[in-house]
Amino acid sequence: MHGRKAYELVKEFANGDKGHLKIFNNELFEQVIEECNEHHNALQSLIRKMQEEGLEVQTARNADHYGAFIHHLSLIRNKRCLMAYVHNRAEIIRELAWKVGLLHELPGEIQEKFSDLEEQYFKDHSKSLKSYMSQLSLDVNVDMVPPKDPYIKVRVLEDLGSGIILSDKSANFARHSMHFLKRTDAEQYIARGLMEELTG
Amino acid sequence: MAGQSDPHISLFSAEELEFMAEDELIEIVPNMRMDPLNFICVIFKSGDFGPFFPQIASQVPLWLAVALKKRGKCAIRPPQWMSVENLTRVLEGERESQGAFQVLPFHYVEISRLLFDHAREDIPDMYMVRSLIEDIRDVRIHKVETSLEKFSGTSAVKIPNLSAMEVNIIRPFVGRALQAFYKHDNPEKIPDVDRASSAQTRAANNEPRVSATEEITDRFHF
Amino acid sequence: MANYYNIDDILAEEEFVPVVFHKAANGVIIDPSSETNSVEQGAKVELPLWLAQDLYLRQAISISVPACFNQRTRLEIQADAACVDLKSRSPYFYEFGCKIAPLVGDKTIEILLLSAFKIRYKEILTKAYTAAYTTASKFLTLLTKEESNLYEAAQVSMSAFKKWRMGGPRLQRASVLGRKRRSFE
Repeated sequence: MHGRKAYELVKEFANGDKGHLKIFNNELFEQVIEECNEHHNALQSLIRKMQEEGLEVQTARNADHYGAFIHHLSLIRNKRCLMAYVHNRAEIIRELAWKVGLLHELPGEIQEKFSDLEEQYFKDHSKSLKSYMSQLSLDVNVDMVPPKDPYIKVRVLEDLGSGIILSDKSANFARHSMHFLKRTDAEQYIARGLMEELTG
Repeated sequence: MAGQSDPHISLFSAEELEFMAEDELIEIVPNMRMDPLNFICVIFKSGDFGPFFPQIASQVPLWLAVALKKRGKCAIRPPQWMSVENLTRVLEGERESQGAFQVLPFHYVEISRLLFDHAREDIPDMYMVRSLIEDIRDVRIHKVETSLEKFSGTSAVKIPNLSAMEVNIIRPFVGRALQAFYKHDNPEKIPDVDRASSAQTRAANNEPRVSATEEITDRFHF
Repeated sequence: MANYYNIDDILAEEEFVPVVFHKAANGVIIDPSSETNSVEQGAKVELPLWLAQDLYLRQAISISVPACFNQRTRLEIQADAACVDLKSRSPYFYEFGCKIAPLVGDKTIEILLLSAFKIRYKEILTKAYTAAYTTASKFLTLLTKEESNLYEAAQVSMSAFKKWRMGGPRLQRASVLGRKRRSFE
């Protein structure tokens, strides 16, 4: 049936966990585009046939017209599915900048889900966010949870070494070491799972 | 609200409500002397608090009270409504009337939680107070559910005296349910609203929201 | 077209409807019983809603009421709406119903949807807030997409509240990163 592959593509997106990406299904995506081309060709040859028969394409309502119309609808449907697939993924990709932060490259487990274009899209999006924030002189990417104390206690979960310089201190962030850090400095490390907040 | 909490689910997270509740005023008894604090403030008539003198009670926002308390600079006076006597009366009232809700501060859930966390020694009969408030909250949540069972159309829902947290808990469900009722009650004007998109995107795109739902949820709001 | 990118709206329009062609159509393979690549006038075919919708508006086909709104379903809903497995009939029962009703000119579908939702709404409400997950899980398999969204909305906001009440760290690892893989040395 027409549009079945496009449906499968959208269905695959819908079956994923909310807010999570699956690997960009390039194969299916290409197949749907190929199907669009086929519909386009079929549509054109039917129109050509009508023209050859000397019919007024705008007004004639013969079997060729309805055939062409079905191909037209199928093409539009396929396009809608492709657009929705890309659009909804882009929404998740933009959200990553807020959820995971812009401090580092995205972890491999997320990057591998991107298509090449999506990877570029995330980079460009991060870049414009960063330049916006530097023009504002304000980091709007912190305090995602309303702030309490300016300093919090954290434990380092993965060896970060001493190469990190935070706004008011630098230290050796060896794994399992504990530190008292500025909340806004620690936030993105915590979001990335590199540190955890200690309470009590 | 952008946040680590899922923006699709609810307009505010519990943490965000707590943050708002921290602007409520509360009485403290400082044990130190301190110059007045002058904050930029839009909620109160003025952002000036203090000067502070030992043993002289003073009104400050809750966040300031907690910050001073943490540093051992004051005792917090629990608000009037947090007495065992008053809470017992409220609980009885809640249990007696099935439909109506007793009057409590809009942020009673958040305020009591903050005080239990940070000023337990300042609350007389703290364990009694805490269990009373929990009972009250449970009875009220149960009553909200019962009253939600009753609606079956798109007439406005009015539940006066609900608190911020209570509204927040039911908002995602009620908003969606009302939208569905609205859709099926008025099939000829099915709203073309992208329900899957987050409130965030919607605000960003300036998309209109379904007016009926908005009106109704607004009533829920306060 | 505010719903253009809406995944659920797209999926709802993939539901199939029985149609009869009033006009023949050339160069398309959508009638499995036809041996040529065309559809004859009078051919009876099942088409996805997105295709049927516009063909109907061009008066090329007529649409009959799909199976999930047939008499049997109606009787079952009248008998005990909360127990009917709507999901297996169509995960987009309500959305599909709203879209198909004007096309088949059947006002009773809308009445059916509203009466089914009224009863099932109450059931979802009680299950979401009071029942334990184990007792609710069987009920959940009967729900349409929108109904389970509703259930989930109630559940998630309640558990977010409970989490806040318990306290604990305010800043947490982003949930998009998946499960924590703790490596011990």
